[in-house]
Amino acid sequence: MASQRSDKSGLSVERTQVSDQIVLVVSGRMDAENAAQFEKECNACIAEGHTSLVADLSGLAYVSSMGLRSFLAAAKTLQGLGGSLRLCCLKGLVRQVFEITGLMQVFTVYETVESAVLEAKP
Amino acid sequence: MFSSARFLTVAAKPSSLRDVRDFVREGAIGAKLPEARMGELDLLVEELLMNVCAYAYPNDRPGDVTVSYSVPGPGELSIELADQGAEFNPLKMEQPDLTLSLEARPVGGLGIHLVKTFAKSLSYRREQGWNRLTFGFSAGS
Repeated sequence: MASQRSDKSGLSVERTQVSDQIVLVVSGRMDAENAAQFEKECNACIAEGHTSLVADLSGLAYVSSMGLRSFLAAAKTLQGLGGSLRLCCLKGLVRQVFEITGLMQVFTVYETVESAVLEAKP
Repeated sequence: MFSSARFLTVAAKPSSLRDVRDFVREGAIGAKLPEARMGELDLLVEELLMNVCAYAYPNDRPGDVTVSYSVPGPGELSIELADQGAEFNPLKMEQPDLTLSLEARPVGGLGIHLVKTFAKSLSYRREQGWNRLTFGFSAGS
């Protein structure tokens, strides 16, 4: 079962479940107009008691500093609750932006959804 | 500042982002910049526009920003953002500490670092009440 939110500027955050682990599939472009959507979905997961989240970024083509802000804010909240935000499948410009800003070392980053799910604490 | 520049004036607010991005992309097409570089150009435009919204016109103060571009040569684009808001030089913003852990990291302050990385050239001047931020982008940068 999946819930999907998207807006006309092209970001979608789809909630899926892989082996009891919540995976947020983030696709499209994450910019100043829509970045808060990701944090909002994370907060919805937290409200339902999920504090260990995986974000699959394989379909994310663009992220600006406002998007990075959203990832950082969500990760800080989850860490404060004893949980974590794990990222996987960063590609192209998105990977480049994470590398340039030193965020590859801040987040736990995985190459595949499977490896991120295996490492995630229930 | 450009003899053959094109100009677009919009409200300095995040909802103008799409119009500004589309406008600059017209310039990129004119400069024959490769499609694969459009994401980087979009990023530069977004970060600098958002800086104007946040710092030149803080607290939702209304104001305009004029974006202009010219094509100095094939594969090159020169872009300027000009506003009449509070004096603000983004190039003087403190360099973020990229080595901090998640707990210690502020959530913001990364935009101008990205701009400095992706722009081929970058300059700011305050001129008769205007902030003028100019950057260059090229197929090779």
